[in-house]
Amino acid sequence: MIKLDHVSKTYRNGVTALEDVSLEIEKGEFVFVVGPSGSGKSTMIRLLLKEEEATLGTVHVAGKNLANVSSWKVPHLRRNVGTVFQDYKLLQDKTAFENVGFALEVIGKAKQVIDQRVPEILEYVGLGDKLNAFPDELSGGEQQRVSIARACVNRPLVLLADEPTGNLDPTTSVDIMRLLDKVNRIGTTVVMATHDQAIVDAMRKRVIELEKGRVIRDQSRGVYA
Amino acid sequence: MRRIDYYFRETASGLRRNGVVAFAAMSTAFIALFLFGLALLIARQFDLVITAWTGNVEVAVYLDDPASPETVTRVQEILVDLPVVTDVEYWDKDRTCEQYAELFANQRAFLENVNCRQTIPTSLRVSLSDPARFDTITAALTCQDQRQEDGSVDQVCATPGILRVSDFSELLDRLVVITRVLSIGVLSIALIMLVSAIFLVANTLRMGLFARRKEIGIMRLVGATNWRIRVPFLIEGLVETVLGAAAAVFTLFLVKVVFIDRLRENVQFFPLIKNSDVLAVAPWIVLAAAVVAVIAGTIGMRRFLDV
Repeated sequence: MIKLDHVSKTYRNGVTALEDVSLEIEKGEFVFVVGPSGSGKSTMIRLLLKEEEATLGTVHVAGKNLANVSSWKVPHLRRNVGTVFQDYKLLQDKTAFENVGFALEVIGKAKQVIDQRVPEILEYVGLGDKLNAFPDELSGGEQQRVSIARACVNRPLVLLADEPTGNLDPTTSVDIMRLLDKVNRIGTTVVMATHDQAIVDAMRKRVIELEKGRVIRDQSRGVYA
Repeated sequence: MRRIDYYFRETASGLRRNGVVAFAAMSTAFIALFLFGLALLIARQFDLVITAWTGNVEVAVYLDDPASPETVTRVQEILVDLPVVTDVEYWDKDRTCEQYAELFANQRAFLENVNCRQTIPTSLRVSLSDPARFDTITAALTCQDQRQEDGSVDQVCATPGILRVSDFSELLDRLVVITRVLSIGVLSIALIMLVSAIFLVANTLRMGLFARRKEIGIMRLVGATNWRIRVPFLIEGLVETVLGAAAAVFTLFLVKVVFIDRLRENVQFFPLIKNSDVLAVAPWIVLAAAVVAVIAGTIGMRRFLDV
């Protein structure tokens, strides 16, 4: 599903964020990418979304070599890749329903599809009773659920989560992890960048550890350190 | 249908969101397009005046007195052969003196003291399809400029039997130059205004993009195409400039009614622009508005929307 082959990324200011990274993630896997700040986790996620391009090496996502995906086709690539961030990225003037519906609306889905799928997915993430709540009426955990619902509503092949529990307390974090696990169980490949040690240790999933842009550990059923 | 509905709502919310800036852009577009239209109308007005003045002008080729019938025929043949000449008419003594009497009907002294039949030579009156090509006549008759003592210029010709050719090329040149300078002047002001309209509209769009950068970021993340993101902004720019264009056309009509129509009562010796002239300018104003919107869109959204 995801394949990095000798990938290096050097930014224009000369900072090398990734250096000779090779790894492969199979369809339906759940992978933690761990490492301290600046180790290259976010760069890796940006490469998978083609927000940045690799300086060296090749990146494959969903069977496509991203170097060959022309810029006008990038939007279609992103429809196969859901994204969740630490800061939720919800629109404050839209309800939970509208926030999730927005993702379908802007890729041209019909109103009937939105009216059918959005309540379904919000029910799925446990917010069936908060369709019309605005983000500031929701707790952090609930906002992150809306954001996960938005990432999953278009049934992506891959879900990229960049520090999804970064702003949440431990109990809420566990709830979010349960949800991500649930999403993973229906076949979505999940890649989660984090430095939440307790969560990584509790989940016992594959762990890829980065340090200064290099993979220093790739372990199935691993722990944080 | 859904897509059109989406674009419409996005555009409307965009215009609402930065209403004041949108209004500023619209006003600039209005002023620019108004000046643009005004330039076109001024050019049109001068065109009307020049056509009216020069359309009736004939070149008078005066013949040596007395003119023999052979000379008349010979010169007439030379003139008729020129492509620019539409008509040649011989004014004999009767015709010439008839006009002389008409011309000086109020000045008895002239009529009594001047013996018309002796002093005024007969002439060939030549009509031209394009008065600006007066020089082809003088060339065919091998004439040359000769400055008179009173400062006016006459044509002295080498072709035998010709006394002189009346010269109005200087007047024509002056008129053409005035028209050109005026329309170029107004057009360049209009052009400068159009350029500033482009940048103001571009700026509005950019502010709109900035205000909605979070929304746009999310749209990109979930895989909205660039056009899906851009089109509402393009329409927003188009709405601003087209509203400006509508106001400009309306104001041009107003100017025509208030100023030109009032002139019409006092000025009878040359034609004035009509409603149909203003109407003919309208499509060009709308076209200019569309061009402004498209260029503004391209400038305003460059870089901001790179993937």
